[in-house]
Amino acid sequence: MSIIDILIQFRPALLEGFWVTLKLCSIIWSIGLVTGSALGAAGARWALPVGAPCRVASFLLSAVPILVLLFWMHYPVQAILGVVVDPFYTAALSLTVVNIFAVADVVRAGAKGFPAEYLTAARVCGLTPWRTMLHIQLPILLRQLVPSLLMQQVNMLQATLLSSLIGVEEMFRVAQRINAVTYRPIQVYSTLAVFLLIICLPLNGLATWLKVRFTRDLSDR
Amino acid sequence: MLAATNIRKTLGDSLVLKDVDITVTPAQIAVLLGPSGSGKTTLLRALSCLEPPDSGTIAIDDQVFRFPWDATNPFIGPWPRVTVVFQQLFLWPHLTLRQNIQLVMKSVRRLRSDAHLCELIDLFDMGEFIDRYPNQASLGQRQRAALARALVLKPAYILLDEVTSALDVEQVAVILSHLLELRRQGIGIMLITHLLGFARRAADRVFFLDDGTIASNGGPEILHSPSHPRLKKFVSVIEAAT
Repeated sequence: MSIIDILIQFRPALLEGFWVTLKLCSIIWSIGLVTGSALGAAGARWALPVGAPCRVASFLLSAVPILVLLFWMHYPVQAILGVVVDPFYTAALSLTVVNIFAVADVVRAGAKGFPAEYLTAARVCGLTPWRTMLHIQLPILLRQLVPSLLMQQVNMLQATLLSSLIGVEEMFRVAQRINAVTYRPIQVYSTLAVFLLIICLPLNGLATWLKVRFTRDLSDR
Repeated sequence: MLAATNIRKTLGDSLVLKDVDITVTPAQIAVLLGPSGSGKTTLLRALSCLEPPDSGTIAIDDQVFRFPWDATNPFIGPWPRVTVVFQQLFLWPHLTLRQNIQLVMKSVRRLRSDAHLCELIDLFDMGEFIDRYPNQASLGQRQRAALARALVLKPAYILLDEVTSALDVEQVAVILSHLLELRRQGIGIMLITHLLGFARRAADRVFFLDDGTIASNGGPEILHSPSHPRLKKFVSVIEAAT
């Protein structure tokens, strides 16, 4: 049985797995980027009340492997609280929290490190605060942050595979099931690898291209 | 008239400006000279209200700023009527030199046509590099673009911090001719420079700042035959070095 055969025979299951991964990613990415950006910006603006607690949370989270966090949220936390939550939502919540603090870290560092001189130049040129933000701050910040944020989202996509271990029926879990039926690990996991390459490689490439391009545009001589 | 009186400014523990009085009138080039660390840039930033002084008064034509500023009043700076070209230029790096100028032209002066920009490009001979990013242009080219960005604002007063520092003799002469043209247009100019020849040719008024005080001031003749001992030493050191 070749990769093509697997793709044809198990197309519905693969599409279902891909759909679950996509749903998981869309939750993790959208909430992570929006909330993380807001938290990062607030952390840069109010270093003590917002920035410091965020940094502590981020530091603690970075020390806990994602797999451990997923298991911890899936078993002990639910046992302590006496609730049973669908693994999909457990994974979504855990990975979203990780993404929020990772994004907040990137945005906070970028916003805090923003060169004040460019804002001074905008002031003496008479630009309003709104125009300064629109034409100076945001474009420069986006150029600095987008590559890192894109890489972070690729990492999160890859991290969703771990959710299979708490029973989420995403791509990796589907691949495991197909392998259990066909016992063709080389073809099955190669299919999965190709599938992930098709998704991740362009994103990685885009992040690298943006980084090179914008670094060239913004660098000092 | 841009007149500052009793300007006092502390940075950290050190008193950088000690009751400085300085004046720039329209259609005048005032040159601010002084050794490194004498407080020239701090004074320039105070005059532009970017770093408001601890105490003193800055009057810009009919607008008076008294410091310390009454915190109950919102502070609205005198920009871009008074504008600054910094030594480090601070051109926005994500925009080409043309876009740097266009942004202030369209946002602040609401000019939709590029005719004025074309004039400036010709004036500063920037046609060859105007579409480069700041990091793709030489320092001299960036200095010309920064000056053009300031001039497009049609300021009443322009404060220049060492804008000729990286220019060759020919380019300095070009800048000098532009400054003389701006003076003819009625713009009051204050410039910091270490180029004695440039100061002698450009200045209508010279201020020599030493250790946070105006040690000497007068017409350009004080640079030809300085009587103040500290200025005399300063001039002789620069002349010996050049």
